[in-house]
Amino acid sequence: MEKKIKNTVEDGHGFRSVCYRLWKENKVAVFCALLIVIFALAAICAPLLTPYGYDEIVTDTYRLSQPSLAHPLGTDEVGRDVFTRLLYGARISLMVGIVPTIISMIVGALLGIIAGFVGGKADAVIMRLADIMLAFPSMLLAMVIMYTLGDGIINIFLALALVNWASVARIVRAETLKLKETEYVEAARSIGVSKWKIMMRHILPNCIPSLIVLFTLNIPSAILSESALGFLGLGIEKPMASWGLMVNTGRQYLYTNPWLSLAPSAAIMLVVLAFNFLGDGLRDVLDPHLKNQ
Amino acid sequence: MKKIIALILAVVMVLGLAACGGKKDGSDVEAGLLRVAASYDISTMDVAQTTDNYMIPMNIFDRLFEVEVQADGSTEIVGSLALDYDTSSDGLTYTFVLREGVVFSNGSALTASDVQYTFERLLTAGGVNDDVPLEVAGAEALKNGEADTLAGFTVIDDHNFSITLAAPNAGFIAELTGPAMSIVDKETMAEVDNFGLECEDTIGTGPYVVTEWVVNDHYTLEYNTKYWGEEPSVKKVIVSIIPDPSTQNLMYQNGELDILDLESIDSAIVANTYKTKYADKLVSGSRVGMTYFALNANNEYLSDVNVRKAVQMAIDVDYIITSVYAGDAVAQAGIIPDGVWGDNADLARPTYDPEGAKALLTEAGYAEGEVQFELVLDTSSSSNTQLVYQIVEQQLKAAGINVTIRSLDESSWLDLRKSGEMDSFIANWTMDYNDPANIMFTFFGNAEKTGIRSLNYANEEVMARVAAASGITDDAERMAEYQELEKIIVVDDAAWVPLFGNVHLFALGERVASFVPYWAGYSNFYAKDVTLK
Amino acid sequence: MVTNIVKRILQTVLILIGVALLIFLMLRIIPGNAILTMMGDKTNPEAVERMTAELGLDKPFYVQFWMYIKGVFTGDLGTSYSLNRSVSELISTSFPNTVKLAIAAALVAWIVGIICGIIAAVKKNGIIDHLFMGVSLLGVSVPVFMVAMVLQYLLAYKLQWFPISSGNAGWVGYILPAIALGWNSAGSIARLTRSTLLEVLQEDYIDTARAKGYRQLYVIIRHALRNAVLPVITMMAVQLSSLLSGAVICETVFSINGIGRLAVAAIEARDIPLLQGTVLFSTVIVILGNLLADCLYSVLDPRIRKEV
Repeated sequence: MEKKIKNTVEDGHGFRSVCYRLWKENKVAVFCALLIVIFALAAICAPLLTPYGYDEIVTDTYRLSQPSLAHPLGTDEVGRDVFTRLLYGARISLMVGIVPTIISMIVGALLGIIAGFVGGKADAVIMRLADIMLAFPSMLLAMVIMYTLGDGIINIFLALALVNWASVARIVRAETLKLKETEYVEAARSIGVSKWKIMMRHILPNCIPSLIVLFTLNIPSAILSESALGFLGLGIEKPMASWGLMVNTGRQYLYTNPWLSLAPSAAIMLVVLAFNFLGDGLRDVLDPHLKNQ
Repeated sequence: MKKIIALILAVVMVLGLAACGGKKDGSDVEAGLLRVAASYDISTMDVAQTTDNYMIPMNIFDRLFEVEVQADGSTEIVGSLALDYDTSSDGLTYTFVLREGVVFSNGSALTASDVQYTFERLLTAGGVNDDVPLEVAGAEALKNGEADTLAGFTVIDDHNFSITLAAPNAGFIAELTGPAMSIVDKETMAEVDNFGLECEDTIGTGPYVVTEWVVNDHYTLEYNTKYWGEEPSVKKVIVSIIPDPSTQNLMYQNGELDILDLESIDSAIVANTYKTKYADKLVSGSRVGMTYFALNANNEYLSDVNVRKAVQMAIDVDYIITSVYAGDAVAQAGIIPDGVWGDNADLARPTYDPEGAKALLTEAGYAEGEVQFELVLDTSSSSNTQLVYQIVEQQLKAAGINVTIRSLDESSWLDLRKSGEMDSFIANWTMDYNDPANIMFTFFGNAEKTGIRSLNYANEEVMARVAAASGITDDAERMAEYQELEKIIVVDDAAWVPLFGNVHLFALGERVASFVPYWAGYSNFYAKDVTLK
Repeated sequence: MVTNIVKRILQTVLILIGVALLIFLMLRIIPGNAILTMMGDKTNPEAVERMTAELGLDKPFYVQFWMYIKGVFTGDLGTSYSLNRSVSELISTSFPNTVKLAIAAALVAWIVGIICGIIAAVKKNGIIDHLFMGVSLLGVSVPVFMVAMVLQYLLAYKLQWFPISSGNAGWVGYILPAIALGWNSAGSIARLTRSTLLEVLQEDYIDTARAKGYRQLYVIIRHALRNAVLPVITMMAVQLSSLLSGAVICETVFSINGIGRLAVAAIEARDIPLLQGTVLFSTVIVILGNLLADCLYSVLDPRIRKEV
């Protein structure tokens, strides 16, 4: 069945309308959205929520300590407050989820539209490039990139963006191919509207619902990738806190100080779960045909 | 549907039961088997090509002399393949008597020409371990290709030979105990292609032969029935490669390892778990060597001896030892580590006095916070080391010295250090053999040596004396000279900030009756020193 | 169909070359001197020079690339600096372990995933359905290392049912890593099975079968599952890539000498030939797996068969 395509995003895809439908159809997704907002606020307000610094050694005598009033999740192997590091780690994890995903969205969407709309050689080159990127097991590709660039948050952004743009490009291209055949694009073409304008004015806006869904679903996978890299000891520079890195170092103390690794693990799980539920809900509302992809 | 669920449950239970096998006390483990773990695999069994992991070479080869750890923890050099030696009066020529009746594990007999071959091979194979044979007369010529044989080495007969040094060196016999001086068989070497890489090609006289090596997985040593010495209690050693420290830790606790080297385990776990739950299972050996704080005398501020003295005073090493190493480290005062011949017990550490350091800086004309330099961290170093960096940073800041930690990956770190332009760093040196020359000459032997360690020590006269000290044949005189030089460098010139030496702990499993850790700075040990129950 | 497959194979070759080029390029822009790191503290300049020459690092870039490509096609992936062995030899000892792990994990994923998917589809919109789908989303969201860590702690350390390290433990050692690795895939397979099954269950022939009086379970297994299995096969190929990614973690936690751990060891030792070889090899496996799945798909699916 041909999907009915609307000319502008606002119709039925407006923020309010989406929220309303989401609330009506999938309350869990709304709670997840709230959870994400809470995490984001906690990350942003980290300095207000904790008196310590993320790399501040707060213990006097011995480093590892069990949860207490002063340190709700205890202190880690270096004597830093785990709760504080969890908050600051949320910054890294959310940034690592969002920034590379935005980059890969922009790059992927542009290349996908160009490939789909222009076709020919541009299409072949872009899609073969995407095929090459998609052929790599993502973890190994990210490892190689991190190895080459060295640790650092900017490098993680780059690595994850490089890993993820190709799948976006593929989906946007498929969407573009469909849109290209629609009457109003044909019409726009026949009255001599430039290619660039058609792409930006007519095709891109219609891809946005799918892009939003992809965005919410790619964020958790980026967070998981970063945490896996952190778990292997690659990724951000110490002594910055990232959840994956916290699990990596905390794992040794699992049977004496379980919070060191379980708290960041649980945080990763919660955030990823929340994004996944939200993504699922948004997909049902915005873009039902994506469901089986 | 119920049937399916019942089936799944049944399968899970069968799997669970099938898996219930291992017993914690290890009563189901093959008798005579020792199970240990290593954090990474070795690159070669040939000591000419590696300075890194000596577990296999130490156990399958013998050296002319060995270091024996005495009951009181002191060490003594004893004959191994060499029974005895004589020194000429000028201290240049050593005459050795080789043990008779020793055969390699393939049956070939040990002769003086094998020793000669070993020396010549270290020089000509382009390896990385040629320090010791380079001291022999004519070694340079052989190495450069100007000679075909090692002029200073004379084979008298099958079991007697003499070595003439280019310059007197009182530490020579001690150096012969290093793993690099493992004796190989000349005849075998002529026949095999993959010495050091293939088990059957790697033949020695030691108590074990290597029978299996699955790269990056495990290697197996088995008792050499042709071994000349006493039959060891351990008949077979399996060294599994377990890069993950938590896995090693859990394996030991579940009885899957017989000896655990606690160096790979974080010291907080050692303190919380091993020192409480397994306290009676721990044995310690001192890790002979030291962690030091190197200051670059070419730095704008560090070139001033007052600044260096202030740095020495600003560091509270006892705090580091208790908080990072849970007390398992010993503060060091000089350059020659505790336990090494020539260590000066009377030398005192610079006193910890942050206010004094501040005052000294003010007196030297620096404004508050003016003195600043970088403390460069190798990001691949252990969490303990990284913690030491952070504590040192805080302590220096408390004394008004403005340091910033700069993190570099391992190869960039090495590049920068070797270029001589690293402001300061904290690193560890472990002794290769029991002689002060090993550390004194390496760091302060000449301008090049102090340059590649980014020390850039400026006192030419002291460096010349360090280089000459190894030639002093009288032991007492040589020791006095080293101690005086040590004092000049550490106290007068404040060119070296000694921190601490580590205590090296091992946890023994239920199956192990006793184990004497080896003397040296590295983790590897002799399996023949282990007694199983 | 045949032309389709040939076209696909040609495309694959193109991708292979691209992948090889990309890996090569990525690994040549590395800071620091790899040889210095490798040889550690006690290097002498001659040894460094010799190693540089041995590895061809002193040659111009294009010569290095030519040597590398030639090697790739003759199966010579170079020599690992840190382990002193040919990279192909190292891969051939470690890859079988990864294959064992991946097969075991795939079994776990499919058995659990398909069974849960069927149950959920049958009990559509019931409590079990919601529960299973919630759990499956949890399955997708839990990091592999967390599952691995918790399993190792509970079943191997606390209960001692399984060995901590899988290396020398035979097949028993593969149970925990397989569950940890299969966990994520089980979630997505369950979701996919459910949705395809629901689609198929609406088709006419299912109604016919039901009308004939066959039992529900029989109808599902005999008729519906057969048609629902196609998308799941495609998913297998996609999962191969994520299985290999997850294997890196599982092999590290459970100490399995597989290709993922080899890659991690290569990174730690800054061993370029080894890293290059392991990544290239894993990628080739994924590409070939995808190719196979495509071919299988076109053979199995009558609709595609007719189209061509």
